[in-house]
Amino acid sequence: MLGRGVKRKRSCLEELEVEVLPDGARKPDRKQDGGEDREEEAAASLLQQRQVVLGLCLKKLQDDQAGVELSLRRSVLLANTLRQIQEEMWRDRTRGPDRLDPDSCLVRDGFREDVSVTCPGCAEDGCCDAVSPDAPSQDPNGPSDQQKPPPAPAGSTLSDSATGYLSDLALDDIFEDIDTSMYETSDLPWSCGGGALWPLGVSLWPEENLKPPSLSSGGGLQSCLMDLNDLDYIIEILVKS
Amino acid sequence: MAGPGGGSSDVQWCFSQVKGAMDDDVAEADIISTVEFNHSGELLATGDKGGRVVIFQQEPESKNQPQCRGEYNVYSTFQSHEPEFDYLKSLEIEEKINKIRWLPQKNAAQFLLSTNDKTIKLWKISERDKRPEGYNLKEEDGRYRDPNTVTTLRVPVFRPMDLMVEASPRRVFANAHTYHINSISVNSDHETYLSADDLRVNLWHLEITDRSFNIVDIKPANMEELTEVITAAEFHPHQCNTFVYSSSKGTIRLCDMRASALCDVHAKLFEEPEDPNNRSFFSEIISSISDVKFSHSGRYMMTRDYLSVKIWDLHMETQPVETYQVHEYLRSKLCSLYENDCIFDKFECCWNGNDSVVMTGSYNNFFRMFDRGYRHDVTFEASRENSKPRSVLKPRKVSTGGKRKKDEISVDSLDFSKKILHTAWHPLDNIIAVATTNNLYIFQDKVN
Repeated sequence: MLGRGVKRKRSCLEELEVEVLPDGARKPDRKQDGGEDREEEAAASLLQQRQVVLGLCLKKLQDDQAGVELSLRRSVLLANTLRQIQEEMWRDRTRGPDRLDPDSCLVRDGFREDVSVTCPGCAEDGCCDAVSPDAPSQDPNGPSDQQKPPPAPAGSTLSDSATGYLSDLALDDIFEDIDTSMYETSDLPWSCGGGALWPLGVSLWPEENLKPPSLSSGGGLQSCLMDLNDLDYIIEILVKS
Repeated sequence: MAGPGGGSSDVQWCFSQVKGAMDDDVAEADIISTVEFNHSGELLATGDKGGRVVIFQQEPESKNQPQCRGEYNVYSTFQSHEPEFDYLKSLEIEEKINKIRWLPQKNAAQFLLSTNDKTIKLWKISERDKRPEGYNLKEEDGRYRDPNTVTTLRVPVFRPMDLMVEASPRRVFANAHTYHINSISVNSDHETYLSADDLRVNLWHLEITDRSFNIVDIKPANMEELTEVITAAEFHPHQCNTFVYSSSKGTIRLCDMRASALCDVHAKLFEEPEDPNNRSFFSEIISSISDVKFSHSGRYMMTRDYLSVKIWDLHMETQPVETYQVHEYLRSKLCSLYENDCIFDKFECCWNGNDSVVMTGSYNNFFRMFDRGYRHDVTFEASRENSKPRSVLKPRKVSTGGKRKKDEISVDSLDFSKKILHTAWHPLDNIIAVATTNNLYIFQDKVN
């Protein structure tokens, strides 16, 4: 909790801030470089922020599973947020690694001040607007798409597309050195759709499932969960290639 | 414009009373979870996390100080709900009182409905100030007399005694909700009421406990497809066939029970299109409606989402007629508030007696009032520092810009563990009850 005058613990948000801000020390005379460099850096930081939210979301859902029956409203809101992030990541993937979704939620001011992560030289709002002002004209269908996400259940359609999403990456190399010891628990009633590694098909209503979660299919929980550092690596690939 | 329930621009709010322990150690069970005035405003009920209900009664105005409103003192305390255990799911059912709703008074006794997550109870609160004395076969202390010693007969008479307030459970409405009850609302017919959980709304008759009608069911066939839950529901104050329910996606549906038995299809859908400039990952979470309240007139309804209060005209579904920002300075802090779970806090809201002012709570023990007529809003703080009797409340301000004026508090200094979720406004007077974590503050307007 943010207490009055109480020093907050160094949260992952602040760590993110520290990582990104040194890059922000550049002067605004980079205009010669064109907006592209700034866009790239903004995109990278935005992706990192999305990662943070994704991590928080997963952690909360994980914690919720591990104990008392908590609020259904909370679970649904978390699941919807997770789904939204997953869809956006999928859209980024299909759009191409060098083009960030101009309608990305992260471009909005929800993040601008919160983690004090602005694009370098972007103390004013001018720069961030440069990333998004064309959004409405470039993709007039964008907003309506976002407002009406595909109604498919999270466990099926998205899992299928996720398989395609990851199929052209060298998966074995990526997962080789994951330390999944913290995820090795049989208490999590998460149902991973057959063969789908990511995104996660999270079952939030264990009482509705008639069969116990199968932990043996496709490596089970270990393959279902991804360390955030490895997400970093994947995103790096997407952004820099 | 002076007078009861008048505009807040000329009203000076003063501290009146504070109830509850004043030490820093807050017992979990003492956390106030609901506050409600009865229809006359004479009684003020609170429910807490420990399943208790405490009712305060306003003292009659004293003849010595005819313009000074009476204080609220404890009238009755009782244990409404006990913790239970659901053996099927191996889960504990909390005894926390989620809502209290008073029934309109019909006779000398008072009735209220109180609910926890699963069970609603109808309580009768009655006074006893006389007792029969002079039994023939019993002594005054209750011992039986030897019949042989009875030589004369007398008629027992009622004699005054110290006032005793008794609360007795008259009805228990159980086993009708699979999910957690978030709302109860008494119908204007005074015979029925509704109860709403995350996915269903049920209609009850106050006299019948073994049956209820399901009138709204939004549970999908496949729970994996669930993306929306019911967050609040209320009956229209005058039309007994009309009720509304709000959702976690920021929509409100108005239903007419005359149309069909199951009101899954709404008569009206109130939804404001999202502002594309404000879109973020938290858009849906902050659009989730935490409370919905009809105006006393029945013409408007008010909704509370995380950052704002909206007034809707029942005749216009496309957008609210008024929007008030409660704490817009939090919009840039949404990620932190998401991290510490504050973004899931459910704030309530309330109307004053003549629907001219609305009130809701915020963080740092701040609460806000919005005057609809004068378009004037004010922020006050419920704190021990402002607890001198009849001291006038000083408006508070949160500084959002770089330069912080004197007496302003910066956003980063706000205490997010001190939240005011529950507030209530006297139906006829300018008296408000504001609940902090474990204290109940009563404020009233200054009388000269």
